[in-house]
Amino acid sequence: MRVTAETKTATRQRILEVAQERFAAQGFEATTTRDIAGAARIAVGTLFNYFPTKEAIVESLVGEAYAAAAAKFAKAMDHPVHAAPRSLEEELFAHVAAILRKVNPYRKYLPAVLETALSPLATVADGDAAALRAAHLETVGSIVTRHGRQEALSTVALQMYWTLFTGVLAFWAKDASPRQEDTLALLDQSLAMFVGWLTGQGDTSQGDTSTNPSSGG
Amino acid sequence: MASVTELMRALPEPAEDQAGEVVAPHGVPAAGFPATWSLRPVAVGWFRRLRVLGTLQAKIGAAYLFHWLRGWFKDADENKRLLAETHWRTAVRVLDSMTYLRGAVMKAGQMLAAFPDIAPRQFVETLEQLYFRAPPMHWSLIEELVFRELGDDPDNLFAAFDKKAFAAASLGQVHRARLKSGQEVAVKIQYPGIARTIRADIRNLLLFLTPARLSRDWDNTKDQLDDLRMRLERETDYEQEAAMITRMRALFGEDDGIIIPRVIPELSTSRVLTMERAPGVHLQQFLAGNPSQEVRDAFACKIVVAWYRMMYAGRVIYGDMHPGNFLFMDDGRLGVIDFGFMIELDDTLWSLMEGVDRAITTGSYDERIACLKAWNWIGDDPAEQDRLRLAERFVDWQWRSRSDARAFDFGDEADFRRGVDLFVEMVRKRYSRSRPCAPAITRQFFGLRSLLYQLRAKLDMARIAEKEVRAAGWDRSDFARRAEGEA
Repeated sequence: MRVTAETKTATRQRILEVAQERFAAQGFEATTTRDIAGAARIAVGTLFNYFPTKEAIVESLVGEAYAAAAAKFAKAMDHPVHAAPRSLEEELFAHVAAILRKVNPYRKYLPAVLETALSPLATVADGDAAALRAAHLETVGSIVTRHGRQEALSTVALQMYWTLFTGVLAFWAKDASPRQEDTLALLDQSLAMFVGWLTGQGDTSQGDTSTNPSSGG
Repeated sequence: MASVTELMRALPEPAEDQAGEVVAPHGVPAAGFPATWSLRPVAVGWFRRLRVLGTLQAKIGAAYLFHWLRGWFKDADENKRLLAETHWRTAVRVLDSMTYLRGAVMKAGQMLAAFPDIAPRQFVETLEQLYFRAPPMHWSLIEELVFRELGDDPDNLFAAFDKKAFAAASLGQVHRARLKSGQEVAVKIQYPGIARTIRADIRNLLLFLTPARLSRDWDNTKDQLDDLRMRLERETDYEQEAAMITRMRALFGEDDGIIIPRVIPELSTSRVLTMERAPGVHLQQFLAGNPSQEVRDAFACKIVVAWYRMMYAGRVIYGDMHPGNFLFMDDGRLGVIDFGFMIELDDTLWSLMEGVDRAITTGSYDERIACLKAWNWIGDDPAEQDRLRLAERFVDWQWRSRSDARAFDFGDEADFRRGVDLFVEMVRKRYSRSRPCAPAITRQFFGLRSLLYQLRAKLDMARIAEKEVRAAGWDRSDFARRAEGEA
């Protein structure tokens, strides 16, 4: 039987949905690929055609939430109410906060991908995680540009940002404080540290780090 | 007074302590305030906070040492000038570190500010800014906190929401907003993780007090610290504060001219508190208008009525008697805000308060001594006599404003200083053993006296107290019966 692109998309979506249900019901560690395949009514071999590992499923779930968050953030920043003058730090904070909101359902499974695909040590140059990382850093770059920096962020700056960001995610995944309020404090401090370091660099003296000049507000 | 920025500029170069640590957090320019206050991180790790606290003490010591050394080479007038300069520098350093630490350490700053004559005026004036000028959380953080607490963005929940805070305090920061109904409100939002911050502060305090563990009153000190910890932790729960506001509001009618803003329950949680916004100005602004004695007395009377009403009718002591919590309105009404730090009078405490009232109203020396012994667990041991004598002098000062059957002049600086001196003497002699809530009660009492002192009020306290006791329906006839029986 010939499998159409439409059927493939539907199957992939079904796998993600049942995986999410299983992870939520019995936890990431206790859920096997066999469980997921059974719940999705497909053979385990078929499952592997779509996702080579259990971690890859989480990666896709997180990636989809991520993409939705990025789109929402971009739209919000275009809206005059939301774009009202924010400092560089505030805008970076709003970006990450938007991601945390969307990724929240998968918070507890994040360690699975943080140790692999999202890790600052990851060397894989392709796949969903690499695309996700590239898109995230591109947004960070455009935020920094909006605040007056003319040069692209250096590899070191990007690596530093990504290390802090994934550190916040790792903390968030295990954060037991009410409504994960400690994560907000950590994010605030991490971004303050990053912006402080970035603006303290000699080659960034032309960059305005206070308010967003393009917002006109 | 010089602006805070000017004071910051006047500071000597930040000196590192022996461990190489600097109080100012990273990224803060030495020459002035940072462009963005929100770059300043809140210290959350207890070890880091402990280190900063220790360094702060060293800084204050260094500032005075700096003054002392320079004083050797200057004439007297110059010396006086330098002293003021040093006070400023110290105050700014304290302010700087406190805004960095926030939490309970800022409470300590507020307590100092309640003693206008125990600390130099410049020091107090600078510290008073803690009430209104703590660094704000940035808007993105506020947005996220509101979303997490109330389930939606502020822009969807409110018709308007000021992105900048108009007041900041030790635990929260307050934003002006307008409900969709048009009602103007104030939204108090708590710093993330402040409750754990407070627990860390208390742990730090206990570490600093380690030598005191050798004293025989250590267990009592520990009980008092536990009481303070419990009260500060309770203050972090805005749901409890909302319940207290509702309870206290019910005690006042329109004729009282005392306004306690209503809570908006559907927009309040344990971390966000939305209340009606009361108009009015704070004490310093009110006094800057040079109000007459009559006007000052009228407001002072309302402060005292609010205090007595809550105590006699509500059986609770208003614990946060500082200028930031009172609003002076053009039409003569007084706004009272912030009900987080309250002292509930349980049966034991109420019985002790009855003892105080009995001792004051009967004027009996025996009642007074019995009351003191009961409050402070003073026995008949001859070694305790000095302690008893000093406590007796202190309550004589405390109660005189009410036991004198005439308008008492709260603006008498010498009298105020006498009370402070007696208190300092008790502290110096380590006569701190008392009920666990005693530090909280002493704090609010000095806060009240400080407010009345700054208002230069003249009040007949006995008359106000009698009126409030009668209004509360408290039957004091047993006082007379007991007095007759004892006779």
